[in-house]
Amino acid sequence: MTDQLGALTTIFTEFYYWTTVVLMFLIHVGFCMYEVGASRYKHHQHTLMKNTMLIPLVTVTWFLFGWWIYWAFPTGPGLAPSIMTESTGLVLGGGFGGNDLANPTNALMAINLNDHIMGVFWAAFLLFSWTAASIVSGAVIERITTFAFGVLAIAIGSVFWSIDASWGWHFDGWMLKILGYHDAYASGVIHAIAGGFALGVLMVLGPRIGKFSSSGEPRNIGPRNPWLVTIGLFLIYTGFWGFYAACNVPIYDLGPEYGMEGISFWTATNIYLTPTTLSGITMNFLMSLSGGLLAGYVIAKGDPFWTYSSGLAGIICASAGNDLYHPIQALIIGMIGVVIAYKLHYWVERKFKIDDAVGAVAVHGYAGFVGLVICGFVLNGYPSSGYSVGAMFDGTTYATINPLGQFIGAIIMFFVLGLIPGYIIAKVLNGMGKLRIPREVEIAGLDYEMMESAKEDEKAVSSATR
Amino acid sequence: MATVSNWIDHLNKPAEEVGGSVYPGAGSSEFILVLLLIAVWIGWTVITSKSESDELNALSRKRHGANDHKSNITEW
Repeated sequence: MTDQLGALTTIFTEFYYWTTVVLMFLIHVGFCMYEVGASRYKHHQHTLMKNTMLIPLVTVTWFLFGWWIYWAFPTGPGLAPSIMTESTGLVLGGGFGGNDLANPTNALMAINLNDHIMGVFWAAFLLFSWTAASIVSGAVIERITTFAFGVLAIAIGSVFWSIDASWGWHFDGWMLKILGYHDAYASGVIHAIAGGFALGVLMVLGPRIGKFSSSGEPRNIGPRNPWLVTIGLFLIYTGFWGFYAACNVPIYDLGPEYGMEGISFWTATNIYLTPTTLSGITMNFLMSLSGGLLAGYVIAKGDPFWTYSSGLAGIICASAGNDLYHPIQALIIGMIGVVIAYKLHYWVERKFKIDDAVGAVAVHGYAGFVGLVICGFVLNGYPSSGYSVGAMFDGTTYATINPLGQFIGAIIMFFVLGLIPGYIIAKVLNGMGKLRIPREVEIAGLDYEMMESAKEDEKAVSSATR
Repeated sequence: MATVSNWIDHLNKPAEEVGGSVYPGAGSSEFILVLLLIAVWIGWTVITSKSESDELNALSRKRHGANDHKSNITEW
């Protein structure tokens, strides 16, 4: 960096992503609080530890292979040519974002005075990975082993979400080119996939003891600490500001990028490098949050747990197209998503005896799925990528956004990369006897020994201070 | 191991040489470090898996009731 303006742009971008990482950390704090608030007293500490340990597990594996997968798979492989290499194989090197840079042995995967972006961009994506794993975490509380959850967290956080991001959340992704897939703020690539994955795991894991009566009627195991749930969800909302900002590129000259001679157009872009504004998406974020809260309050008859979750579901549902929607469209879409997700949650619970302890499959999975489908209708005809405009690279054209492409994309996210892998991995873990804690432990409480030990400590301290 | 021994000398180099990696062992240690990380990850997984199984088995043998934990709730 030798010229001041170039340096300022680079350092601004670096600091921008760093800020999003800090904000997104609050999503994880929120999930921890929320899950502890939703779990029963005798399981609190294990619930917290399970969610905490996904941080190092997903981080280590994201460093080793998750980030590499994102850059390696945009072509499928074998489904559409890369605009960088014209090859349909794995992207192994070269060009902007070339995959050799994401190789964990590469010198750029460390402090490098020539590079100010790799680390913060890597970290922003990593925080998305934590979010994906945390979504699954809430659904399975009080009965999964920490070992099994660790394996599942790595699978969703460092493998399957990374593949879907490469396919549908990458400017070179095959889903953009062939399906016209559009998912600006991750209705599908984070939420639908993680919700689907959680559902696949729950199908094998089974409900908490006592959740269903002998006649199959579901019983409500409500949150044990409503305040912790409230603060947790508000922190998740707060972290989502960072999530949205991290899905953007803060400053980019699209003229040269699109091959337009003599044209300079500085703007923020979404992840696909098509123009949007941080200002506009802020309005849409708040309006979809409001739509979710309004609809949730009505449909859940004022139940705080579902009303807060519905705010999140409203954002998630509108996220696919929030780079382009009008704020009122975002609000209405958020409302629709909430009603469908809420109704589906209870239908699935009764029909299939699925015990989703925090409604994660509904809030993330169903709302994300619905959001993708609605986006296909509302944004029908918009270009899925800027690279379809004008002469660019090898002239590869991209499909426009369309309802069928979005529906197929939703199926890929929820079922193909979410539910099916979650179900298979859970089946394997179950076959090994590693998925679920013993019945006696679930009844006694995972924290029983810790609590007993703490009681003995308390007695000892009391007698010493008598 | 030091990649830079004098910042003034380092920054006085041509621009293309000033940039780049500055961590200890740059250019020669990355592969070994990655192997080390894989070993730590797998080792941690094996150790914690075994300790969790032992802990769960020991607790399940005691067959506590659903409300037994309530006598263990501390005041702090």
